[in-house]
Amino acid sequence: MILLIDPGEWRSALTYRVARSREFVDDTEPDALAVGALGSLALVGAFAGFLAMSEYTPVALLTFLLAVGYGWVRHQELAAKGVTLAMTVSTVLILALITVFIFVEAWPVLADRTGRVFGIPVPGLEMFTTTNWTPAVAEPKYSMLPMIQGTILVTIIATAVAGPLGVAAALFLSEIAPGPVREVVKPGVEILAGIPSIVYGFLGFTVLSPWASDQFDLVGQGTYLFVGVVVGLMALPTVVSVAEDAINSVPESMKSGSLALGTTDWQAMTTITIPAAFSGVSAAVLLGVGRAIGETMAATVMLRNTPTIAEPLYNVFYGYDTLTSLIAANYGSSNGFQKDALFLAGCILFVSVLVLSIGSQLIEQRMEQQLGRGE
Amino acid sequence: MTSDQERSSGRVSRRNFLLSSAAVGTAAGLAGCSGGSDGGDGGSDGGSDGDSTPEPTPTPEMDGDDESTPASGSSGPSLLTGEGSSTVYPIANKGSSYWNGNAPPSDGEYWGSNDEGSVPGWSEFETDMYLADYFASQYGFEPTGERSNPPYRATIGLSHSGTGCEAVTDGLVDIGNSSGPITAELGWSEEKASEEVVDHVLGRDGQPVVVSKDIYDAGIDQLTGEEIRKIYQDEITNWSELGGPDQEIFCIGRAVGSGTDTSFRLNMLGDAEAEMPGIDTRQGQNQGVAQLVKQNEGAIAYMALAFTSEQVLPIAIDFEGTVFKPDKDAEHTIFDSDYPLNRDLHMYTKITEDTPSGTDMREGAFMRMFLTTFGQKVFVEGNNYIPLPTTDIEAEMEKLPDTV
Repeated sequence: MILLIDPGEWRSALTYRVARSREFVDDTEPDALAVGALGSLALVGAFAGFLAMSEYTPVALLTFLLAVGYGWVRHQELAAKGVTLAMTVSTVLILALITVFIFVEAWPVLADRTGRVFGIPVPGLEMFTTTNWTPAVAEPKYSMLPMIQGTILVTIIATAVAGPLGVAAALFLSEIAPGPVREVVKPGVEILAGIPSIVYGFLGFTVLSPWASDQFDLVGQGTYLFVGVVVGLMALPTVVSVAEDAINSVPESMKSGSLALGTTDWQAMTTITIPAAFSGVSAAVLLGVGRAIGETMAATVMLRNTPTIAEPLYNVFYGYDTLTSLIAANYGSSNGFQKDALFLAGCILFVSVLVLSIGSQLIEQRMEQQLGRGE
Repeated sequence: MTSDQERSSGRVSRRNFLLSSAAVGTAAGLAGCSGGSDGGDGGSDGGSDGDSTPEPTPTPEMDGDDESTPASGSSGPSLLTGEGSSTVYPIANKGSSYWNGNAPPSDGEYWGSNDEGSVPGWSEFETDMYLADYFASQYGFEPTGERSNPPYRATIGLSHSGTGCEAVTDGLVDIGNSSGPITAELGWSEEKASEEVVDHVLGRDGQPVVVSKDIYDAGIDQLTGEEIRKIYQDEITNWSELGGPDQEIFCIGRAVGSGTDTSFRLNMLGDAEAEMPGIDTRQGQNQGVAQLVKQNEGAIAYMALAFTSEQVLPIAIDFEGTVFKPDKDAEHTIFDSDYPLNRDLHMYTKITEDTPSGTDMREGAFMRMFLTTFGQKVFVEGNNYIPLPTTDIEAEMEKLPDTV
């Protein structure tokens, strides 16, 4: 990925491309070219028709399918190339459109709540400097802070549950457990990841929350503490699975070398395996954190859905709302700015999860480079 | 997001439907011309089958033609659609199920009478027509005389009050169900509402205030309206202030902006935009509220009547000296129409150029079914809602088109 290319090189690359395409046009049979061009045009037309909500969209789509059908029968290899390219492009395009849509939908409320810092307009300033979420009163306030606090608290607790437990379990599975145990437990843990979140949430709502309410003498039920615990348990399989892969990928030669020098198993684990797998294990924990941030059903079912800043800020015994549960609890009965504010909550989630997943990918890349050098 | 997707997919299918019905209508019209004799009547049979294949012929000018009336003759009556509030849904959906079943008068359980019994209010009808045939024929639709084949079908979708109101104003459905007035749901003025839609009230929902069993057993079975207001506005936070046990009040509300929430603010606090800082938790569904009251001590909540139980007990409320009791035989009960927490259940229809009265023939026939003794007993009372008094029924009948 080198962005600075000198102009001369760039020009020659362009000429090369043009020559290549001309060659391609010359070499390909005319009917294949025509059908290819027709198909691509029809696909672009279908997309435009879809955006404009035109009645002719099905016609364009049908033309595309016919072109693909003809191409598949006559020139299968070329058609397959074209179709896979089209599929990739549409996937990326669809995701891009969704992203743009979320941000566009959130914009009106941001623009309306513009504040000024040192004379510079900052969109949505009020939503991040005040603390009230009161959408149904005469002068509605849409502060995002209560939900951000909720999300942060739940994520921290979930990480505190999923991190140590997950890494310990991964270490045990990868390094200590005898073969048969690993073969049963590893798939078992992965199956756990398939339990729908509403099942966890429902257990929390009917069992954990009332119990916590009794034990800690709370008014009613719903605490960040137990939402965090439940979400942590839900993220656990992800952490165990990815961390185990990371620890497993530490080259056997490194461990053997250390053992040959006379270290015990435990010393080899703490001084060689864990440091070598450290970045992979962090990526596992980050993935778990990403899961915790985005977890919706369990939080919605267990929390109180009354956006309020918990006081003191670290009070985890009352649980009000997270970014995800806010959307889940209010999407149906919201309109106008309130709906836009829900989209804004979506934007905040999108950005945080994006940062996390890019972070974990960078860490993973680093790990591969380091271990690659070690070999 | 989800509702938008539903809405746009609804739009597409509706357009397809209109296209297909337009195509069928044109074909029927042509057939009528070549046959030369049987003019308008044949069309209403032809269009209702629904088994004609949709033609992709683009006829954009048909898009605006949302309402089809039997008067137009060449086009059969189209599907009657409705969607909205989960509170109105049981009534509307049960109505549409009965309608689509089109039971014969010999059925006895769903329509008509036989040896084993007759439906409530049957003496008003005493007809030999099938259920949907009977009501539809009052507005000039051809009876089919077949079980499960009404003159036109009715479907009711489930979403939310606000969504239902938006769907009917956007012309996506014929009937928008809402448990709060459209003025509060969409922030409209009264004038705008009366220009855009017609408000049909086909039943009432009582919102009893309920408390958890421990509080009820401790002797709190009646509160004043003022006390409840203070609880929801955080001025009273402990049951001991109301003569109950020393237990903090767990105050349960409904999702902000939901129909239930809006009408509670309006009726109990006197202002649809009043703040309710006393609320400890909000729930989106009646079931969730009932469950919370069941499993927490010191809870108070308000919710639809249908979800009360032995653990979730409605209490009597004293409004300015009149005590409304949760007992059907008391002098004033929470089923009365003057109980302040009773709310009207609305079915909105849109005023269009084709139907300046706001209610077309299809909608009129369907709604008339609910305004009979039969409809009130089966669809409203049968779902634990509150039937309309006679004067209200007469006023609602006035809003429907005249029968043919």
